Amino acid sequence: MGKLLHMSVFSQSFSPCGRFLAAGNNYGEIAVFSLSAALSPDATDMSQKPILTFTAHEGPVFMLLSTDTHLLSAGNGEISAWSWVELTKRVVLRVVPSICHFVTFIVFQDNSLIVGGGDNNIHIMDMETGIFKSVLQGHTDYIHCLALKEREGEILSGGEDGAVRIWGPITYIFLVINFFLPEECTRPQFGKWISCLATDSDWMLCGGGPSLSLWHLRSMSPTSVFPLAGCQRDAMFYQDMILAVGEGPHVSHCLLGGSVKAQIPCTSPSLNTLALNLSSTEHRVMTVAGSSDQIDVFTNFSYRAFSLSF
Amino acid sequence: MSSDTLKKRKAKVIRSDGGTPENKRGRAEGEQDVRVYNEEVELEGRDPEQDYVLYKSTCEALAKLMAEIQELKANGAKEGSEEVEERRRQGCVHFVTLKKLNRLAHMRLKKGRDQTHEAKQRVDVLHLQLQNLLYEVMHLQKEIGKCLEFKSQHEEIELVSVDEFLKEAPAEISRPHLTKEDPHQLTLARLDWELEQRKRLAEQYKSSLCSKEKILKGIELKKEYLGSLQPGLQAIMQASLPVQEYLSMPFEHVQKQAEVARHLPPPLYVLFVQANAYGQAFDKNLTVSISGDVDEAKALSRPPEDSQDDESDSDAEEEQQNTKRRRATVGVQLDDKRKEMLKRHPLSLCIDLKCKGVQFYLFCVMHVNLNGVLHLFFYYLMNLNILTVKAKVSTSADLSGAISAGELLNSESLLNCLYASDHGQETPNPGNRYQFDKVGITTFADYVSELGHPYNWVQSLGGLQFFGDAPQTEGAQSSLSASHMEATMKLLRGRLQSRLALHKQFSSLEHSIVPVSSECQHLFPAKVVSRLARWTMMSYQEFMELSFVQHVVKAGLMKETDLFFMATVERGTARLQAAVVLNPRYPEITPLFSLSLLWKGERSGRTDDNLRAMESEVNVFKSELQGPRPGLQLLTNQIQRLCMCLDVYLETESQVSDGSEGPREFPREKMCLRTARGPNRLKPFKYNHPQGFFSHR
Repeated sequence: MGKLLHMSVFSQSFSPCGRFLAAGNNYGEIAVFSLSAALSPDATDMSQKPILTFTAHEGPVFMLLSTDTHLLSAGNGEISAWSWVELTKRVVLRVVPSICHFVTFIVFQDNSLIVGGGDNNIHIMDMETGIFKSVLQGHTDYIHCLALKEREGEILSGGEDGAVRIWGPITYIFLVINFFLPEECTRPQFGKWISCLATDSDWMLCGGGPSLSLWHLRSMSPTSVFPLAGCQRDAMFYQDMILAVGEGPHVSHCLLGGSVKAQIPCTSPSLNTLALNLSSTEHRVMTVAGSSDQIDVFTNFSYRAFSLSF
Repeated sequence: MSSDTLKKRKAKVIRSDGGTPENKRGRAEGEQDVRVYNEEVELEGRDPEQDYVLYKSTCEALAKLMAEIQELKANGAKEGSEEVEERRRQGCVHFVTLKKLNRLAHMRLKKGRDQTHEAKQRVDVLHLQLQNLLYEVMHLQKEIGKCLEFKSQHEEIELVSVDEFLKEAPAEISRPHLTKEDPHQLTLARLDWELEQRKRLAEQYKSSLCSKEKILKGIELKKEYLGSLQPGLQAIMQASLPVQEYLSMPFEHVQKQAEVARHLPPPLYVLFVQANAYGQAFDKNLTVSISGDVDEAKALSRPPEDSQDDESDSDAEEEQQNTKRRRATVGVQLDDKRKEMLKRHPLSLCIDLKCKGVQFYLFCVMHVNLNGVLHLFFYYLMNLNILTVKAKVSTSADLSGAISAGELLNSESLLNCLYASDHGQETPNPGNRYQFDKVGITTFADYVSELGHPYNWVQSLGGLQFFGDAPQTEGAQSSLSASHMEATMKLLRGRLQSRLALHKQFSSLEHSIVPVSSECQHLFPAKVVSRLARWTMMSYQEFMELSFVQHVVKAGLMKETDLFFMATVERGTARLQAAVVLNPRYPEITPLFSLSLLWKGERSGRTDDNLRAMESEVNVFKSELQGPRPGLQLLTNQIQRLCMCLDVYLETESQVSDGSEGPREFPREKMCLRTARGPNRLKPFKYNHPQGFFSHR
């Protein structure tokens, strides 16, 4: 019971069919929930409990990513792949070199896996062979988040050092966006780290210590700054809205112009991860989780429908 | 009337008869020649038919004469003419004849009547005789019937059968020559024989009675003799007491106890036996003794009929009293009924558990041996059929100093939750609910402080088992008691030890020193700057009012039976408040810390992920923090770890709120590999020994 009281959920991922949700917590466990059971009309309390829980790593599971067939989990110094068909059978993909310490973000691009972690570098790994193809160095502190610009094939990375770097596709030359300049964004009382990044063609969303702000990438300047109180840890573009979660027990709906449209209350005192189930039409939900053992499920994005719990 | 007529006629006849003969005699006195005229004789000779014919002819003649007279008179005959006179004379003769005939008719009638009368008389007499005879016949028949029905008493006597009789009886009684033929004689003989036998048996009976008397007297004498031996034996026992003590075999004491124990109610007896057995087999530090009034106990075990009679009498009396003065005594009556229901058995059991010295590394300097004795008093509530217990602790050393430790050894709450959720506030016997309803007791908790706590383990020790729905098992089972005894004794010991340990720890905590033993030094760095400023106890209400503990309340991790404390850790301008929930089953259950930090604003475990991580660091890792067995240092180690984590927190906070980059209040002294990790940028709270650096888990 005490364990549940001190649990934090760090990562979520929906299955390729969209019927299941996997969530990873700070004890290294991954729990799989059946969304179809929880969303069905005759759902009971038991359908809000995981259908499967297993220990994936020794340390916290910071990142979960789904490919077409596998669930990738990243923890303390290792990335594991689990087949969605047989979730209890682990296929250890690759133990990331120990200097990485921990892995905070992984992203899938073509056939390679882009890994950002504690050694301040971004590693690109080939999925087929499992060999690390290249290393992108440049950050001076650990990497919080990665984002992918699919059209151009560029990688954006944000780190604890407060820099957002854009890595070009082939040559991996970077461009640094420095955040010390724009006064309206910085919040020195919090710090300078960047904990969330999202891109949508020419637009980039980033936030963390500094306020959440929307940037136009061509001109490299912020167009709007969102007046959200806490530090945002996860944000994404959705239709014409921006959804952001972070410190504070709410999901913020913001408009592109810079205003906060709504703040929907949630159960956890602060939230770490936000996920949208876009691959399925009948289970189109948004789930958020953070500093508690509850995962809030939103069927209508304006209010919390129910919570799954570990 | 017939007799009267008869008499008259007879008189008439006689007169006439007498008259006639007298007349005749009178006349005939002169004449010797007596012609007796008896008209009756004449009557017999005449024929009535002839008389009738004569009558008719006479009447005709008379009629003719009259007609002639008439004719003559009509023709003008004179009065007294011859013809007329002649006819008149003939007419008179005819009249006389008629008169005679009339007389004769009358006489015949009379005669006829007399004859009938006589005949009737004769018939009556005969009839009467017949009646008499019939009556006599009936009477005789009845008598015969009675005689035939007569049962003489002799038939009620069960006689020996005829064959047996003929065999057994001596000849002078049976007289076979007579009795073979004559059943009457046979019966008589049998009766005689019966009488004789009975006489003989009566004599035998008398003699047996005498001998019985004699034997009884003999028994009395022998009993007296045995009774006289008893004092002698007592004297010998007394004399042997010093010998027993010298040899340390307290037979006398054990015997006395066993003697008293016989009057214990069954659950207490089971407990006594099991505790004694356990103490002798495993635990030299356990002593059992019985206290209370033995005579009262004996009085209780008297046969129930007496008490029932008394009850019915007293009930009758009570009822009378009730009808007289009802209003005054209803409340008192109810009170009395309640007292009666909650009555304790006069004998109680006292078990003393000695606790070996609990070693202490007090003030980091000296070891303290703390001996304590836990006194448990067990009572049996007779009408409710449950056992209750009261506890008391006495210690060798003086337990002064710790104000916050006031609740620890409180006898009311000392044994709370020995087993999980065994609060001892409600009676475990479900049947008591109905008894309580009758006398208006709503909760047993009101009486608990006076009567003792009815914990479930106490019932198990006494062999009483209560199930939720099933009826209570009959009697006390010793197998149940035996299986629970060891576990419960261990728990009791552990409870006392932990409480005594906490007591000492609290007194040190109140002096702002966190006692850390040498075995646990490796958990913490050598230098911990944050120090415990205050350690106080809180009440349940005060705890509930704190804002930063609501998550614990919501999660249901604390109950009203828990103990609540507030620890304040300070360093510089930073003040950390920790609300501690201490479960009575400490150290089995880890104390739960909730944090709130006052430093440049207020943050709690809900708002600040790092404080939450500190809470988790202190609450979750019991196996690391509990120290050597029996894990009594859990709380103090938790507090020390809290201080250490606060150090790390404060030193790794790099931000300054007002934006200026002045000197930091808390210079970095701790060695950390990295100060932040993961999306919520947690600080490194894990201490690694012996390298002495901090890392993330």
